[in-house]
Amino acid sequence: MSDDVVLQATDVVKTFSSRGKKLGTRIVSRAVNGVSLEVRRGETLGIVGESGCGKSTLARCLVQLLPVTSGTVAFEGTTLTGLSRRRLRPFRRQFQLVFQDPYASLNPRRTVGDIVSEPMRINHLGSSLQIAERVRELFTTVGLDAGAINRYPHEFSGGQRQRIGIARSLSLNPTLVIADEPVSALDVSIQAQVLNLMADLQQEFNLTYVFIAHDLGVVRHVSNRVGVMYLGEFVEFGDVGSLYETPLHPYTEALLSVVPELNDTDAPRRERIIITGDVPDPADRPSGCPFHPRCPVATEFCRVEKPMLVTISPGRQVACHYPRNLAAVNATTTPA
Amino acid sequence: MPEATIDRTPLLRVRDLKVSFATRQGVLRAVDGLSFDVGQKEIVGIVGESGSGKSVAIYSMLGLVREKNATITGSVLFEDREILGLSDKELQPIRGGSIGMIFQDPMTALTPVYTVGWQLVEQIRQHLHLTKAAARSRAIELLGQVGIPDPKSRVDRFPHEFSGGMRQRVVIAMALSCNPRLLIADEPTTALDVTTQAQILDLMVTLQDTYDSSIVIITHDMGVIAEMANRVVVMYAGRPVEIAPELELVRHPRHPYTWGLLDAVPRLNVAHERLRTIRGNAVSPLNLPPGCAFAPRCDYVMQKCAERPPLRGENDHVDACWLSDAQKVTIRRTPEHST
Repeated sequence: MSDDVVLQATDVVKTFSSRGKKLGTRIVSRAVNGVSLEVRRGETLGIVGESGCGKSTLARCLVQLLPVTSGTVAFEGTTLTGLSRRRLRPFRRQFQLVFQDPYASLNPRRTVGDIVSEPMRINHLGSSLQIAERVRELFTTVGLDAGAINRYPHEFSGGQRQRIGIARSLSLNPTLVIADEPVSALDVSIQAQVLNLMADLQQEFNLTYVFIAHDLGVVRHVSNRVGVMYLGEFVEFGDVGSLYETPLHPYTEALLSVVPELNDTDAPRRERIIITGDVPDPADRPSGCPFHPRCPVATEFCRVEKPMLVTISPGRQVACHYPRNLAAVNATTTPA
Repeated sequence: MPEATIDRTPLLRVRDLKVSFATRQGVLRAVDGLSFDVGQKEIVGIVGESGSGKSVAIYSMLGLVREKNATITGSVLFEDREILGLSDKELQPIRGGSIGMIFQDPMTALTPVYTVGWQLVEQIRQHLHLTKAAARSRAIELLGQVGIPDPKSRVDRFPHEFSGGMRQRVVIAMALSCNPRLLIADEPTTALDVTTQAQILDLMVTLQDTYDSSIVIITHDMGVIAEMANRVVVMYAGRPVEIAPELELVRHPRHPYTWGLLDAVPRLNVAHERLRTIRGNAVSPLNLPPGCAFAPRCDYVMQKCAERPPLRGENDHVDACWLSDAQKVTIRRTPEHST
């Protein structure tokens, strides 16, 4: 992994507006509220958050499937936001999406060979013979029988379909793959197969991943760096090991504490911090810190003043007035 | 759970339950010989992947498998009474009365066209002879008990006005409304976020304690099992492959499928390694092998596996595998297996 930045997002905001209850009024939801991030070549950036935190919207903004409301997204130094569809097209080949639902993301009326070859046909990458050859090669790469290209999606199991989705995303030799909950619809034994496959492909093709998931175990497993989203914002960023061991944000701390774990060792469990209430409506954001209404350590100050994402130690950023585990973080980064 | 409080006189006793469906492609054996007991105040977890028959098994016990092509055999004793094959009328006081159900998706478990209060009152009045007013105050009391803020005004709201977690609380309130002896929860937290899941699991344990009921929780998540269950039934292809107390199962699993299931879970405390996987895909219930159903995916398959292994073992811990006890211990101890 180098410090070479593949994708850079700066202050991305995405709002959706809908009709309000009263005639003529509009409700504006800020699904993504000022997100900045950089994805470095060869790394896996994990993004975790609960449903409704804006992680999928962010993914779609990053690949320009949704126009951003404000802010910029740059790919290998070129600003993508504001480019016309035609100017965008050569870039689109470089970043591909893997979707969550392997049932909804494959057209049931097309053969899987057709589905995987479509991106190549659209981009005129070779003769039909060459493309057919490449499809067979891709099938083998993702661990499917190359003889199955004339079958239809319904003839495959969930895990196999996700492999087809992955083959399609690889067909254009992308630099960056954004995977939005790629394994959440799969059973645990199949999930492990797909995660291992993604790791192998990353090695083989030198891919950069943005891996979006709600499962903290999965994210821990695949990521180099992790960002934690809450209500459309990043509340914490960090290298995976240190973030999981010493979470700085009270939300991250609570999130990690409630993941059900197997009691297969005698190691003491983390104390469970059960946060009360629900995620607020993004159309009606709380003042100050977005997490303050549910935060166990919030003060009056948190209600008034919104904390900025600040760097606490190398590789660790947090948006909180009262970060947790500070002593532990400082002890590991500045040896006394 | 403190083990001591569990009374092992079974409240529910399932013996050799089989559910099959006659289809055009042949006989689909969804549940193929399931036996287990649920003690008083015990939480039993049934874990398995999709298609393992865990939900069908439970639905068939309650007479909810109504397909014309279904054949259900075996025995299900609830409070020493055979409930398999009872008519709807006979089942009426049991379903929603002494057995409460919590379904996976709280949105579809509630009807969108009535207020939650209406739905609760209907359920309560169906089973307990209460006046409308008394049932309504019981509904409000229940909503308060499951942690819904301001139950007096929320009782007149519609399901869509609640969040996912709050809706699941309503479903739990409904399941508890008639003081059930047994609560059956089918993937109760699968549709929820982890912070909400923690709230709901916590609530279920607290309520189980106050109501002294037993729980059968069906899930695919070993973590949820570890958090909740006293005893675990691991299912594969409609058959139980291992039954053991929770800690025993997690620490000393004996069936190769259980090993695979436990090792495939990405852990919070283990960094960036290759996950162990179970090779291949689940077997088709249309085409179960005559022997061990897991044999085609098993790393330790031997000739004997062409014959169906019985559940065997001592005390509480039984498993269906032909490997000898010594072999199981040795295999599990080898480095690539130590967790």
